[in-house]
Amino acid sequence: MNTAAANPAHLVAATGISKSYSQVQALAPLDLTIHAGELVALAGPSGSGKTTLLYILGGVVQPDEGEIVIDGRPLRRMRPGKDLAALVGLVHQNYDLVPQLPVIQNVLAGMLGQWGLLRSAISLLWPRDRQRAEKVLAELGLADKVLERTSHLSGGEQQRVAIARLMVQSPRIVLADEPVSSLDPVLSEEILRLLTGIADSPGRTLVASLHSPNLIRRYFTRVIGLREGVLQFDMPSSGLTDDVLAQLYELNHRGELDRPGTGEAAAEVS
Amino acid sequence: MASLIALEPGRRPLKFLENRHLLTLLLVGALVWSLAVVDWRGPLVHSGGGAAASDFLQALFPPELSTDFLRLCLVASWQTVSYAVAAITVAVAIGFPLGVIASGTAYTQGNLRVPAIVRLCLAGMRSIHELVWAVLFVSAVGLSPLAAILAIALPYGGILGRIYADLINDVPDPPLQALRASGASPMRVLLYGRLPMALPELVSYTFYRFECAIRAAAIMSFVGIRGLGYEIQLSLNDLLFSQVWTLMLFMVALVMVVDMWSSRLRRSLVS
Repeated sequence: MNTAAANPAHLVAATGISKSYSQVQALAPLDLTIHAGELVALAGPSGSGKTTLLYILGGVVQPDEGEIVIDGRPLRRMRPGKDLAALVGLVHQNYDLVPQLPVIQNVLAGMLGQWGLLRSAISLLWPRDRQRAEKVLAELGLADKVLERTSHLSGGEQQRVAIARLMVQSPRIVLADEPVSSLDPVLSEEILRLLTGIADSPGRTLVASLHSPNLIRRYFTRVIGLREGVLQFDMPSSGLTDDVLAQLYELNHRGELDRPGTGEAAAEVS
Repeated sequence: MASLIALEPGRRPLKFLENRHLLTLLLVGALVWSLAVVDWRGPLVHSGGGAAASDFLQALFPPELSTDFLRLCLVASWQTVSYAVAAITVAVAIGFPLGVIASGTAYTQGNLRVPAIVRLCLAGMRSIHELVWAVLFVSAVGLSPLAAILAIALPYGGILGRIYADLINDVPDPPLQALRASGASPMRVLLYGRLPMALPELVSYTFYRFECAIRAAAIMSFVGIRGLGYEIQLSLNDLLFSQVWTLMLFMVALVMVVDMWSSRLRRSLVS
């Protein structure tokens, strides 16, 4: 990894993180470093540990073992509130907005880590920092939906609201769990453009799980393959061939899975 | 009851209370026992009751509809509703903060003792019927509207608090997770997630309790407050059944209006 030498400041450095749920190993011990400016795609079949990895990096799930250092500080010791929210933001697969609130309140929820309790309570009735939210929503083409009830929006619009919340929160590391899995191709590209846009300014990064090799090559700089919680490959996205990805998703026999890595991809494991 | 006793997730004393078959068994047992002790040989229904019932039914055709009496009914309805509004307002003022505390969601998890104690208080308040509270308050503050309002507000506050706590707890978790990921503390998750999501249910249950409060306010005539119950009592004493019918129809109309209002409001909150 030449970039590691060129840029010693790892934004994310995970060592030996693993996680099991009851008997099932969701994530085998894994080392991972991510630099500012990298756009990382996570690929792998369902149940491969992508979501678990994202949740661990986001501080939502605690790993059984291992440690994560973000921007030089151990994740374990960060207060879950404002410390973490300024560093890491997570978009969930199902957007997970509060459907009863107006759009603007769901967007301003990105400020809750910074606001005091009184300010948060007042804002529920008279929105604070309204211009900021309106500006972000306008950028996302939702200028006319500011006061709309969130449940009235379409799925694609709700996804953009979730991204607007993230833009208001403005974390340095954006984690996205299958952000385009339920969207049509045009909308998928739009959402990825927005997400990579957030990570575009200096000192930031994006880690997202998705399945499409075309989208991975177009929008990401690096791709990590996971299968049954085990790292299969970690390479520049330009090197991702359809073959490599097909192999990752192939329904192998158990015996074949036990081999460390698959094919040419194994050489790329760092 | 189980939630009342469950102080910590790990150690749960009286765990057998969580067994559903136990409750079924107790209820079936009670039914069988009550059937067994009925004296089946004697007449089950009082034989002279039929005549009285038919007198009462005949008075419905027609009920008393004179302008003067209708005006009196309107005034009485107004009085009953205003007592019910006062009582439910106090009940919400008691039940809402206590319910939020009892839900245990307002601050960082860990100390579950305070919610458990508040749950106990709520249980105590609602385990005593409003009529018994009325007797207690009458002896404390005398025959007065205040006694009646407090007598309804206290048990209703206990019921509302308990239901509010459950509703606040039972909202879907993923949106809350997302709020936490944006840096929201438990109190802020409550404000931006739990309360908005629970609001339709909270409002609809409060309205249901408001209906009950109207009924209860009518009953409170015996601690000296005026209203529909008071007039029903007067008319019954004079055996003026057609007047009683009119008053009861007003009562039903009141509850129906509240019911319609609440379902309209609920629809606007849900859609």
